[in-house]
Amino acid sequence: MSEFKQQILDLEHFKENAEVRIETLGNFRVWRDHEKIEAKEFGRDKTMQLLQYLIANRQRNALHKEKIMDDLWEDWNDRDFKVAMHGINKALEPNRQSRTEPKFIIRQGVSYQIDLEKVWIDAEALESFIIIGNKTYTSDSEVSKLAFQHAIDVYRGSFLPNRIYEDWTSEEREKAQLLILGAYISLAELLLNENPSESIRLCQNAINIDATWEDAYRIQMKAYIAKGNRPQAIKTYMKCEVILEEEYGISPLPETKQLLKEIEAIN
Amino acid sequence: MDKKQNQNASFMVRFNQRIYQEDGESKVQWRGKISHVQDGDEQRFSDFKDALDFMQKKLSELTEKATEHRSSEEQENIIQKSFAMWKTIKDVGPKVIKETLKDPKKQFTNLQGEIQEKFTTLSDEISEKVQMDQWRNATRSDFHEIQNQIDGLSSEIKKLSKKIDGLKK
Repeated sequence: MSEFKQQILDLEHFKENAEVRIETLGNFRVWRDHEKIEAKEFGRDKTMQLLQYLIANRQRNALHKEKIMDDLWEDWNDRDFKVAMHGINKALEPNRQSRTEPKFIIRQGVSYQIDLEKVWIDAEALESFIIIGNKTYTSDSEVSKLAFQHAIDVYRGSFLPNRIYEDWTSEEREKAQLLILGAYISLAELLLNENPSESIRLCQNAINIDATWEDAYRIQMKAYIAKGNRPQAIKTYMKCEVILEEEYGISPLPETKQLLKEIEAIN
Repeated sequence: MDKKQNQNASFMVRFNQRIYQEDGESKVQWRGKISHVQDGDEQRFSDFKDALDFMQKKLSELTEKATEHRSSEEQENIIQKSFAMWKTIKDVGPKVIKETLKDPKKQFTNLQGEIQEKFTTLSDEISEKVQMDQWRNATRSDFHEIQNQIDGLSSEIKKLSKKIDGLKK
């Protein structure tokens, strides 16, 4: 078995067996030992917000308490922070012995970090699958397809949709959206000849996220041709032309125009 | 004063680079999208000026909202000041971004240089105004002198108070 396929299996295994599992894409849900933690177990909304903040910043080195408080509280004091952090630890580890270190939130002095070795997070898995998909794109298309498919399965919508007006969530939302757009396009390209209908569907998903994503229109045009549907391929070009004119005031790229010419030349 | 979060405007800007061949020549096109985090509005642009106009619109709305309880004259004055800051950004911003896209490393060094220069100017200005090199630690006699002066001033104040009391009577 290839090293990359093994990595995909490891990621799946981690998802199945992690003590704490968190979904942030399209929804916010947390599981502890395969049991969903209800919102009321977090107590205050700030407790949940603090956990979400730690997730959004999970790849940064330990976050200083004051920075966290500056971003989340208008007028903060140590007590607010302690209460919220206690709330997280209580929800994730209700049976933790007092005076023992929390298992999932690592504390180093006054810095905090979520332990990615122990907590499965969908946004993290999304990125890991896409890295594997990109690495194997030219060398092992089967593994690449599998990896992109897993990434697409993990993505259920934008990052923390109930916090879209909080600026500390924007970066992660943008990152996840670009990752999934890339995954849709890559998998659509890999499936172009083998399964053009699926390729069209994937491109449509990309267009639903970003209506100006020109690569998606181009692959869709090719997929319609693979299915023998020339009128639909031309119609797709027209849609692309209209949206680019409306949104940017520009015309499609020469590559897309050239594809239209080739399609029009087909008898 | 409004809440802290109501005084903030955050923007997320996405640039999408397109390099292509046309008429045997390599060309590059930038497509972008700017989102205003606090209200979710977004706008696409192929000319960065449109992104700046979008930001200006959102910022002026913010200033307007934060000053709506003030007199119209005062509000006008604040909005004018807000625009003055914005004019600088609009004049300098596109140039900085253009240079950064062309050569990020060089632009970073330039910015570093500029910041360094500002620091040097500032520290020179401070040294001119405050002759720190002529400072020395206070000695026991300095403290003694200050003490005598305070005592002197205190007795003057007592005398003056007595005179005022006398006048009142």
